[in-house]
Amino acid sequence: MKSLKLIPVILITMALPLTAFAKAKTIDELAKMYDSSSCKQCHEEIYKQWENSHHARPLMGVKGGLMLTPLAMKGATAFSPDDPQKTTVKNFPCFKCHLPQALAHAEDSVAVELTEALLTAASKEKSDKEKAVAKAKVAKLQITCIVCHNDKALLHKRELGEPKKGVLYGSKAVPAHGDANYKTVEKSAIMKDSVFCGQCHGLGPNFDSDQVFQCANLYGSYLHSYVSGGGTQSCQSCHMQKGDHLIAPNFNDDKGTSELLSKAISLDVQTLGYEWLRKAGDLTSKVVVNTKITTTAGHRIPDG
Amino acid sequence: MVVTAKSADGKFEQKAEKFYHPQATNCRDTKMKYGAQWKVANIRDTSLQPLQAKKETIEFDLPKDLRAVDVTVELFYENVNPANKYPVHTVKKTVTLDK
Repeated sequence: MKSLKLIPVILITMALPLTAFAKAKTIDELAKMYDSSSCKQCHEEIYKQWENSHHARPLMGVKGGLMLTPLAMKGATAFSPDDPQKTTVKNFPCFKCHLPQALAHAEDSVAVELTEALLTAASKEKSDKEKAVAKAKVAKLQITCIVCHNDKALLHKRELGEPKKGVLYGSKAVPAHGDANYKTVEKSAIMKDSVFCGQCHGLGPNFDSDQVFQCANLYGSYLHSYVSGGGTQSCQSCHMQKGDHLIAPNFNDDKGTSELLSKAISLDVQTLGYEWLRKAGDLTSKVVVNTKITTTAGHRIPDG
Repeated sequence: MVVTAKSADGKFEQKAEKFYHPQATNCRDTKMKYGAQWKVANIRDTSLQPLQAKKETIEFDLPKDLRAVDVTVELFYENVNPANKYPVHTVKKTVTLDK
């Protein structure tokens, strides 16, 4: 009888997404909380696009680099811990955008584990195998489907409340969504707006930090140069055409990045050869090259 | 962007470079920084701006006996370091001083 009473409790527990539980204590637990692999079953193409995107490797930098390594090294930055064992989530201000789920759902032990992995991967004393294992651990931390389609999906929380557990948010509502943990998709009014991307692809200095730091300025550029100049396109209309979740550029793809940039940027070159006269009898042979670069981008290039 | 003027025999070569990017310091000294953890604010921005053309005029003075050069304009995107380069456009023109 006692075991029968437990059944409903177990069933309810199984039906809840992992994000409903306490904070993650390890990298594996945090990765599992935000695991989006079940999305692949029905959204295979979108999932493949995401797998090749920088969102799938937010801590890996470009071409396998580990961009957070300086933060793990004692004395390298103002944020770096003196003792790796005493690292806290606050030692990684980059989490704000590169791993936002860590701020709300990770214990400091995740930061300790990440610091150790980063130091191992950067160590000259460790074997290649140890480094590869450490790197693979860092790579588990991703901006998954759940981060954008739940955590970041609502901006008007005083009016709408926090994103609901077990609900995904998209540009359209799907009342019956065939996922075991996320059975409903509700419409997010901001999902197709630039402000959605602007949550991370930023405004400039982070003045809310006790040690101000600056990452992306891209949304600031969009607002203050593109929109103010009459631009009307959204981030998504260029970077997510037909719902492409690669959200190019993918800087690990040299050819694709060059193609994207050459489409967005035009270069016009005009030349002139003549003999310039500054004073009588003293001609100087001169070549003049006039260049004109224009872009179709809605933001400065480069930015992020 | 690298603009090169080169004679056919290779004896004359001049180069001009232009760098287009936001430039930030930590606002405590005057050294430019890379990496969000060190940057605090942009102090100069030479990047390509939306809805604006970036125009340059580059001049090369040639030796008196040289009447033509090959001009190459290479526009590329550097990411993280100069070795990680993505070609964007290359334009080549021969410029002569003779009619």
